[in-house]
Amino acid sequence: MKKGYPVKLLKETLKFTLSVLVLSVLVFGMSRLAPGDPLYAYYGERVEKMSVVEQEQARARLGLDEPLPGQYVRWFRGAVHGDFGISYQYKTDVKEVIAARIGNTLLLGGLGFFLVFALAPLLGIFCAWREDKAVDRLICRIGTVTSCIPEFWLSLLLLLVFAVWLGWLPSSGAYSVGKEGSLADRAAHLILPLAVVVLGHLWYYAFQVRNRLLEEVRADYVLLARMKGMSGRQVLYRHCMRGVLPSYLSMMALALPHILGGTYVVETVFSYPGIGTLAYESARYQDYNLLMVVSLFTGTLVILCNMAARIVSERIDPRMRARGGVDGGEVRRL
Amino acid sequence: MDLLQVKDLSVSFCRPEGEKEALKNVSFSLRKGEVLAVMGEAGCGKSVLCKSILKLLPDIAVVRTGHIYVKGEEITGYSDKQMQKLRGSFFSAVFQNPMTALNPCMSVGEQIVEAVRLRHPQLSRGERRQKTEELMELVGLDHPKERVGQYPFQLSGGMAQRCVIAIALAAEPEVLFADEATTALDVTVQAQILELFLELRKRMGMSIVLITHNPGVAAQTANRVALMRGGELYRIGDVEEMFEEGISCEIT
Repeated sequence: MKKGYPVKLLKETLKFTLSVLVLSVLVFGMSRLAPGDPLYAYYGERVEKMSVVEQEQARARLGLDEPLPGQYVRWFRGAVHGDFGISYQYKTDVKEVIAARIGNTLLLGGLGFFLVFALAPLLGIFCAWREDKAVDRLICRIGTVTSCIPEFWLSLLLLLVFAVWLGWLPSSGAYSVGKEGSLADRAAHLILPLAVVVLGHLWYYAFQVRNRLLEEVRADYVLLARMKGMSGRQVLYRHCMRGVLPSYLSMMALALPHILGGTYVVETVFSYPGIGTLAYESARYQDYNLLMVVSLFTGTLVILCNMAARIVSERIDPRMRARGGVDGGEVRRL
Repeated sequence: MDLLQVKDLSVSFCRPEGEKEALKNVSFSLRKGEVLAVMGEAGCGKSVLCKSILKLLPDIAVVRTGHIYVKGEEITGYSDKQMQKLRGSFFSAVFQNPMTALNPCMSVGEQIVEAVRLRHPQLSRGERRQKTEELMELVGLDHPKERVGQYPFQLSGGMAQRCVIAIALAAEPEVLFADEATTALDVTVQAQILELFLELRKRMGMSIVLITHNPGVAAQTANRVALMRGGELYRIGDVEEMFEEGISCEIT
């Protein structure tokens, strides 16, 4: 706070750039050290019929013959100018491949995140209000089970029940062929993946809210607030929620990439054309350029959300604010 | 008529491992304008007594027998909603640890304003604010205009306790429970707070139930003293005669 806004902004930007840079080096190095041949992504089965000389030529054309650091520098130069190369698998600009799919992922992940964000406090407050009553216990049990079921398995289970047995909902894709413009059709395709995303994450956050609230409810200040003549409900909303809100908001900022990342698995199971299926395919077929962009996109989101979480909790909690935030202000050693 | 009367009050804590009696047939009455000190060792039921009158006990506590009267009207069976009208107008309380009694995430001004608003819903925003500043001055908080924006962690223990007392006084209570209100404070601040209690009693005419395990505090401020041991209130009397008989060695 005291250091002034511009300095702080500069510091944050620097941190952000550095993190993304490190991330890009890591992803670049690791994807290339993984076994597999990217030529297969480009030429498919034809690679096997190529002579060694032809393979070498193809490699040189794709710029895969240089040593790794040289490749990275070339990639980096292009990326700075907005050129991320072509996708070996789709044989077009990576940006185009992503642009065609990102909307679907943002819709699924965004909607999922919004639902979790809105429902978790409601469920948490309800359970805290009915603490240790039958309803609370039942919800706690069910929630623990649903949040522990792996997403891919839950997806398959729901597919089996609602798409195969009952036939109520479509089993895959984001829309039926020929009905691209129909909103109802899109919604029908979204229900199952969305249900998995929400069911997989909701309880974890609701449970956090419930437990944080119960801690607050047991705090001494509740007695004083009750002595003012407030009802239990008023104290819960006006006093206890105030203590829970900062940690909830920063938790949810961290949850954004988590939930969005969770959609990747769900997308793959439902063959939903989003970034998630792309991430999976690009890793599988050594489609380096595509993998780089998908990873950097996800990673940037994680870094941004982390920063947002920190800033949010600094701004809301007066104790953090007075100390000048996490970095800065007084330091106390143990 | 007595302001507050408790007759044969028994309270038990029901835990899965068994029932434990916390209060056994406690009876006493409180007169208008007097300071009654309730003394006894830790765990003898002083706080339970105060919380069972205010009906702020946890769910596991059950009132087994007894009656509580406020100005002759029985409140033993009052619902929480009915009690809300008494709390914050007839009753008020100050608790032991001022640093935890205040909500750490709310400015002290906000917390006092809230108490004022609950007592006088008809007041305008400005009037509430003014009343808050008056209360802060009354309890000896200097520069109230700057202090309203401060948070509990920015205050010392004594200052925080003054804020708690300001909140208690916002209710303009007829009975104030001070549950170990000075225990967490050092001797000088303790003396200041006790003096403040006496002065406020004189000015506002309220009765005070002073829960303490410090005989000095009781001797200094109380008109009458009640002694508790193991959930029983076994003696009650005027402060002079009790101390003449040497109760201090009995409880400490």
